[in-house]
Amino acid sequence: MAQVAVEETQKFLPILRITLGFMFFSAFVRRAINVPAKLDPNSSAYVGGKLITFLPHAWAPIKGMLESILLNPSLLYEFIILFTALEAIFGLFMILGFLTRLSGLVLAGLAWGIGLAAGWLGSTCVDEWQIAAVEGAAAFMFVFTGSRWFSIDYLLAKKSKGIRVGKYNIPLW
Amino acid sequence: MNGKVITIIAIIMILFSTGVTLGLYQINFQGLGNLTNYSKTPAYSLVGTRLYENGTLFLQVARTAGPDTYGGFIVLVQLLYPNGTVLYQWTGQQLGILPSSSIKNEFPLHPSKPIKIGNYGVGIEVPLGQNSTVILQLPHPISPGTYIIKVWDADGQSAAYGNKFQIIVKVDS
Repeated sequence: MAQVAVEETQKFLPILRITLGFMFFSAFVRRAINVPAKLDPNSSAYVGGKLITFLPHAWAPIKGMLESILLNPSLLYEFIILFTALEAIFGLFMILGFLTRLSGLVLAGLAWGIGLAAGWLGSTCVDEWQIAAVEGAAAFMFVFTGSRWFSIDYLLAKKSKGIRVGKYNIPLW
Repeated sequence: MNGKVITIIAIIMILFSTGVTLGLYQINFQGLGNLTNYSKTPAYSLVGTRLYENGTLFLQVARTAGPDTYGGFIVLVQLLYPNGTVLYQWTGQQLGILPSSSIKNEFPLHPSKPIKIGNYGVGIEVPLGQNSTVILQLPHPISPGTYIIKVWDADGQSAAYGNKFQIIVKVDS
């Protein structure tokens, strides 16, 4: 098995990586374990209703999409389940440092996407924008750094530099 | 990849992620200009309100701002002459005891509804993002002409963010 040199900077990346992953994974935990009613369309706690609060000042190009989802309950439910599943899977991957680059790309998309819909909300401060911007930039950073220490990717990197497509290595870790 | 290419990619990505951060700030809060946080105070839009000669008012009320975790409460609906004199008004007592069938909600989740404590009517709760038609009936027909419909929030305000919670309506003969 080949030795992999670990740069000094890489050893400090898990400080951010684990917290970042938990921000997304904990959203799944809240909905699926802490308060399962959040995923029950018949409950007043149903998280689908939250999308209504995004509407007034959501970014114009996605406002229409939000409205059509809200007017179609089955589509809304599928959207909520899909979003929650992505947060669970790639949040956990980020915590574990598994496919970190790919996870960073997906999580950046989720964070910035929420920022375009709910980013204007913030009764304490400019809260949702701060969350979306910081989480998005942090996740995006991992697309380029990966996380080659204290991670499953560290083990994967010993075996391969990435998925080979033609003459290129696509580094998912 | 050589160091020069890496440097160019890094600079492009720094500019991109910083652009997303600042773009979201501008889209959501006009943060680079006239900073506005729409989560602070409830606001309503009455666009689409109609008044008929037989005295039926279809009050179209959309809650466009304020905290997402708590309703806005309309406690007074006024029908005014163009000079501001009150022709008729529905108080919180009257609004709070309206039958639920008098309120039609665009979105099934988080509906607007009359609020009462015992026999004491409080007003109409309008959740953030909801768009409702409240059907109100004057005790008498109304002459053709131009009128103003105005609503008041429970905080005593009838305007926020530079917009009045009122609209001019025309009654045709």
